[in-house]
Parts: sequence; structure tokens; C-alpha cells
Amino acid sequence: MIQVQSLSHRFADGRIALDGVSFAVAAGERVALVGPNGAGKTTLFLRLCGVLGGPRGQATIAGLDPADPGQRRKMPETVGVVFQNPDDQLFSPSIFDDVAFGPLNLGHSPDEVRASVADALNAVGLPDHAERVPHRLSGGEKRRAAIATVLSMKPSVLLLDEPSMFLDPRGRRELIELVRNWTGTILLATHDLEMVLDLCPRVLVLDGGRLAADGPAESLLADATLMETHGLEVPGRLMRR
Amino acid sequence: MTLAYRDPSIPDSPPARWDPRWKLAALLVFAVAVAFLRSLPPLGVALGIAVCLLLIARVPIVIILARAGLLLLAVAPFVVVLPIFVENGWPIAVAIALRCLTIGLVSLFLLRTETVADTLAAARSLGVQGTLVMIAQLAYRYALTLFSEARRLRVAMLARGFRVRTTGHAYRSLGHAAGALLVSGGERAERVAAAMRARGFDGTPRALVPFRSRTVDALAFAGIVFVSATLLAWEFAP
Repeated sequence: MIQVQSLSHRFADGRIALDGVSFAVAAGERVALVGPNGAGKTTLFLRLCGVLGGPRGQATIAGLDPADPGQRRKMPETVGVVFQNPDDQLFSPSIFDDVAFGPLNLGHSPDEVRASVADALNAVGLPDHAERVPHRLSGGEKRRAAIATVLSMKPSVLLLDEPSMFLDPRGRRELIELVRNWTGTILLATHDLEMVLDLCPRVLVLDGGRLAADGPAESLLADATLMETHGLEVPGRLMRR
Repeated sequence: MTLAYRDPSIPDSPPARWDPRWKLAALLVFAVAVAFLRSLPPLGVALGIAVCLLLIARVPIVIILARAGLLLLAVAPFVVVLPIFVENGWPIAVAIALRCLTIGLVSLFLLRTETVADTLAAARSLGVQGTLVMIAQLAYRYALTLFSEARRLRVAMLARGFRVRTTGHAYRSLGHAAGALLVSGGERAERVAAAMRARGFDGTPRALVPFRSRTVDALAFAGIVFVSATLLAWEFAP
């Protein structure tokens, strides 16, 4: 589903954000992307969804190359990105408007838009929140609403960037349930390694723009040397074993 | 844009059920007419009409008085200064105050009977450029976020012993805080743009128009236009 081959990205100021990253994710797989701050996780997501440009042929999602202008237009139907801060994603005056934003951009009919919004809000457990104002929602509600904004576009791949940030334990648990019940492909960037253990059988470790490790979550996250080298910690659950 | 947004804080009333497009158009006509009035009697009647609209909309009198007080406070410098510098300036000053008060109360009527989202959607369907409407929407949405951030920043400053004083340090600190808000606002704008592009936004604002016109909406519009025309005729009739 996701094919990344020697993907590199350099910012305008010369900083290298990604340096020859290669990996593949199968359809329906849930993979965690972990690494210290500044590792390049968000940049990778922005490249994968086509928001950041780059050379063609370095990545494909569902056969689409996000660097190809013609194919990039189809990316929003395929890839849903949930950004770190839900306030960046909920920019409309009401939750309904936010969730409808994507389907409207895809050119869906008004009836389809209404149906998509209702389905997405039901899926995240916010069926009665359509009329709410985004800035008045709790952190957990905002996060779920942000996920609804991409689910309404019915993507086959979800890119979740630090989804448990700002969440209290209840909100975090609800998020884990929500992600667990979604059947598509998921790439999850997070510092929350306990959540990784709950959700993702496979982990990619990214550090300094390079892929440092790729393997089963339990064995990689239990490797104290690997974790320490890349600014991470062995999750408490694995330490107690 | 809006299909179903209905703010529960807006009390149900006939004006709240008025199609926002007709309502916005009618209030614009009325406000423009008021802006052209110069004489005190028609201005007094216009103010009375604005207050009646607010009462029909079930806006509490306390809120009407509070907002009227704020409007008068804003216009007070002109009202006080004008008679001093202009001969026979009192009627002009009172006319300015009445105009500001009436237009301000008409705006309050709009805000208390319609959500900002629906008002902006109505503006869009009345032909206001989609990009302008979207900018207004984003400004409204993120002004609230900016206020929250400013409040947090203020608490963080107070927690470290900052007090507003007339000292260089205080002014510098406030300048730094304002700068931090500006920079974070700029960065947020970039992130919001990325979030919009990731959901297929290509620079063309798209909207669903949920409004349905009824005969009574058009009649209410015609009524306001008739009143506006009457006021102008009163003002300018020889």
C-alpha cells in the first residue's frame, strides 16, 4: 500500500529532513513511526500526502505518486492525515463544516457530503457534535473530530501524527479503541510507546532523517540500547517483564 | 460551509428563523440608509426600529443596554469634542452618536439572531467573493484561539512575577509576548494551510448552501427596505 524508496527531503535553508528513507507498508497494516523530536516524522507525512513537493518516484501510496502533480490531486481520497495539533485541522466555524470540507473539495454531491459527515461523526463517537464550535471542544473531542475530518473522505490510508498529544487518559483510551477498530492502513507517528504496543505490531525508528530500525514492535522497543541511542525509552510495560 | 449549524445560545425567535440571506441584505440596506440620515427625528425613529428588532429577537434588555453603553463610550470622544470646535455642533454630535448606536444595534441584532458561520455563508451566497468569506471565517475561528493563547501567555508572565508597569522592562516584555503570539500565529497559518491542502483544498472555496427562502422572508426584507426608503424620503424630501 505504501512504498517508500530512498526518499530524501531538504528544506529551503539547506537542512536535510529526510535522508534515503526506504520502507513498505502492506494494506491493512498498522505501523508505528517513532523517533526523537526533529527526526523527520512530520516531514515524511507531508511528503507522503503530497503537501510537500519533491522528486518523483521516491514514494507511492496505493499506486499514486504524491510528487506527481496529476496524481497528487487524487491523494486526499486515498490518504488522510491527522495533524499533531487538532486546532490546526479544525479551522471552520463548526464541526460539521470541518468534516464536510474534504468531501466538498472532492466534488461530492450535497447528499453524499451530508452522508459522509454523518458516517464520520458516528465512527468517532461524536454524532451529536455537528453543530458544536471547534474551539469549545475538549482535547479528546477535538482529536476525534480531527480524525472525523479525514474519515469523511473515506481514505484507505491514515497518517496519524502524535495523536495522543494533549489527551487525558480517557481520551487516549478512546483514541486507541477508535484506531484499533479502523480497518485501513495506518502509519502512526508518536512518542507514546505504550500506545504503540497497544496498536502496532511493527515499528519504524526514524532519527536524524534516516531509518534506524524496522521490525516487530515488542523486540525493537525492548532493545534498551537502540532506544537510548535514538532518544527513546523502553516502555514501562516491557521493562517490568 | 454550513449546512446545519445552529448555535444553541441564539434564542428562537422570528428573526432567528429569518433566512440569513434576506436578513443580511435587509440589514445592509437599513444600515446604509441610516448612514445617510442627518436629521435627528428620522435618526431617532431608526434607533427605535433597531431596538424593536432586538426586542422581537428576544435579546435581553440588559445586553442591549450594555452594548449601547459600549457604543456610546466608543463614540464619546467625537460627541464631546465636536461641539467645542464646531459652531452649533451639538446636533451634529448627537446625530453621529445616533447613527453609530443604530448601526451598532443592528449589528448586534444580526449577531444575536444568526451564527457567524451562517452569516458568512449568507454573504457568500449574496455574491461576496468566496476567498473573502473564507478569510473572514478563518479570522473568526483563530481570533478565539489567539485570545486563548494570549491568556495563557499572560498567566505564564504573571506566574513569573510580571506586573504591568510603566517601565522599559514591562514594555519590552509585552513586546516580546506580542511578538511570540505573532510568530506562533504565522506558524499556525502554515500548518492550517497544510491541513487544508491535505484535504484537497486547491484554492477554490466550496460551499453547500442550505438556506431555503419562504414568502415571509421576502416580506420581511421588503418591510425593512420600505422603512429604509421612508426614512430617506423623510430626510431628503423637500
